[in-house]
Amino acid sequence: MGGRCEALEQINEVSFMLSDLSLYLDTHPTDKEALGWFGKYSAERKNLLKKFEENYNPLTIDCVCTEHPEKEPHFTWVDGPLPWDCQEGGRAHVEL
Amino acid sequence: MWNYEKRLQFPVKITKTCPKSAQLIISQFGGPDGELAASMRYLSQRYTMPCKKTAGLLTDIGTEELAHMEMICAIIYQLTKDMKPEDAKTAGFDAYYIDHTSGLWPQAAGGIPFNACEFQSKGDAITDLFEDLAAEQKARTTYDNILRIIDDPEIREPIKFLRAREIVHFQRFGEALEQIKDSLDSKNYYYFNPEFDKQMMQAKQ
Repeated sequence: MGGRCEALEQINEVSFMLSDLSLYLDTHPTDKEALGWFGKYSAERKNLLKKFEENYNPLTIDCVCTEHPEKEPHFTWVDGPLPWDCQEGGRAHVEL
Repeated sequence: MWNYEKRLQFPVKITKTCPKSAQLIISQFGGPDGELAASMRYLSQRYTMPCKKTAGLLTDIGTEELAHMEMICAIIYQLTKDMKPEDAKTAGFDAYYIDHTSGLWPQAAGGIPFNACEFQSKGDAITDLFEDLAAEQKARTTYDNILRIIDDPEIREPIKFLRAREIVHFQRFGEALEQIKDSLDSKNYYYFNPEFDKQMMQAKQ
């Protein structure tokens, strides 16, 4: 299994395919080939988001899981670095 | 309704502080052809679009522009978060530093604050789509200009991604314009407003 960065990269790639396909489908809603790709990547994205939540942190509010037997109960939406912080684990914000 | 995703659309990993580059790129945050104006333009125009498909496209592109604004802000943030007052001074970023420190504030490269007068929502489908097409091209030119001036590959990669998206959006808006024209009288595209003079559209169908 790769690291967090690699897992995030996979999600970025699949999500990008989906957003680009969405714009195409907005103007070509009956294109069968594009619909096929959309279904494939949509399923893949759901799976990757779920795995990311299990290994690292939720990326969407729908991925938040409150029943992790191995984690101290807390609101996991606050976990993980902020997207604009480039270093792994995020910038050293001052803990107040 | 919107939901947030805790990731950037395309990664931004800049390791070298450079307030000078930030001062130029900030135009794509709050400048005349920036991502904030783009997003607000499309999200404002969509309500009165006479064609549901086009309203949907404006929603999706307007949403993507918000993600682009976040990338631009991440670039500026990473370029300035470790700057010393001395860096700001030598880079010509000192006037911004006085007012905002290293905080993010939407302005153009020349210091003009973000202004809704940068875009229009005319309530005329043909007019608005022509503006959207022009807006995508203007943003692409701005990215071209940024790429001609900036050498750091860590900055160039996300900028190249954003530039490519302008081209895709231009194509999609072009398709939307053709589709709207298909539902109008081809002898009279520009004679009436399909958003307001609705009976003219029904007359054709």
